[in-house]
Amino acid sequence: MELVQAASVLAAGLAIGLGAIGPGIGQGTTAGKAIEGIARQPENSGDIKTTMILGMAIMESLAIYALVIALILLYANPYKG
Amino acid sequence: MSAEHGGGHGPELAPIIKAALPFLHSIPDTVIYTWIVMAFIIGVAFLASRKMEMLPRGWQNILEMTVDGLSKMIEGNLGKKSRKVVPLIITFFIFILCSNYSGIIPTLKPPTGDLNTPVALALIVFFTIHVIGMMEKGIFGYWKHFIEPFPLMLPLNIIEELAKPVSLSLRLFGNVMGEHVVVAVLFMLVPLFVPIPMQMFGLFTGTIQAFVFTILTIAYLTNVMSEHH
Repeated sequence: MELVQAASVLAAGLAIGLGAIGPGIGQGTTAGKAIEGIARQPENSGDIKTTMILGMAIMESLAIYALVIALILLYANPYKG
Repeated sequence: MSAEHGGGHGPELAPIIKAALPFLHSIPDTVIYTWIVMAFIIGVAFLASRKMEMLPRGWQNILEMTVDGLSKMIEGNLGKKSRKVVPLIITFFIFILCSNYSGIIPTLKPPTGDLNTPVALALIVFFTIHVIGMMEKGIFGYWKHFIEPFPLMLPLNIIEELAKPVSLSLRLFGNVMGEHVVVAVLFMLVPLFVPIPMQMFGLFTGTIQAFVFTILTIAYLTNVMSEHH
């Protein structure tokens, strides 16, 4: 029982911590490239911004899945008994 | 898996309303918050359209700007056929935006922070996509695209279709709920001033998420409404 609780808390921390790495790197790359694009062609900044936000939101959903799994482990854990 | 645990966040409105009006006791809290958001939207729409003028002022101006900008954007993506989906998409945008913003009012909880609301919205989008696809291409012509480019792709295509509502709903739910939990935790640690920047960030995320939900709906509809696939 206590083992399950300890493991759940640890797993929740690991899930959100590891799950944030990938989207973080991806969003950083995206923002950098978008800034390069805007600096090169300021007249296209509207299009670039919209596309960047859309792409970032899709990457963001990966981190959100990790968050949802962490929340399930903490608050709606099926193995807690 | 409801949003009850973010708590520690001061008093809440729904239990007070339930105590005042006992016949509501079996209604879930989220529904009551949804009613409040709906009442706000209906009130604004009523104020804006009560006496309309040629030169819009005040509420009418705001609403005209929103509806005009969004319907231009939808028409740019979907072309002439966009007219039948414009009301649905703009309604979703306004409702999601108002629900996300309602989270910063003390005693209210955003309805989109409960998994049930995003799932309902995403299911509406899911069925709309298929029904409109069948209306556009005919029943056989629509289902044929599941076995293109060759029949072995059938499982992958089905998984792709099923992943759409899952990712739409979980993205909205996770963002709103996560932001709410972070604010609640900050509020528990330092009650004064410190949660304010996070709440402002929450306003930003709320706009972005409403926009993303709208854009993705448009993108899915573009897929099924375009001629060449």
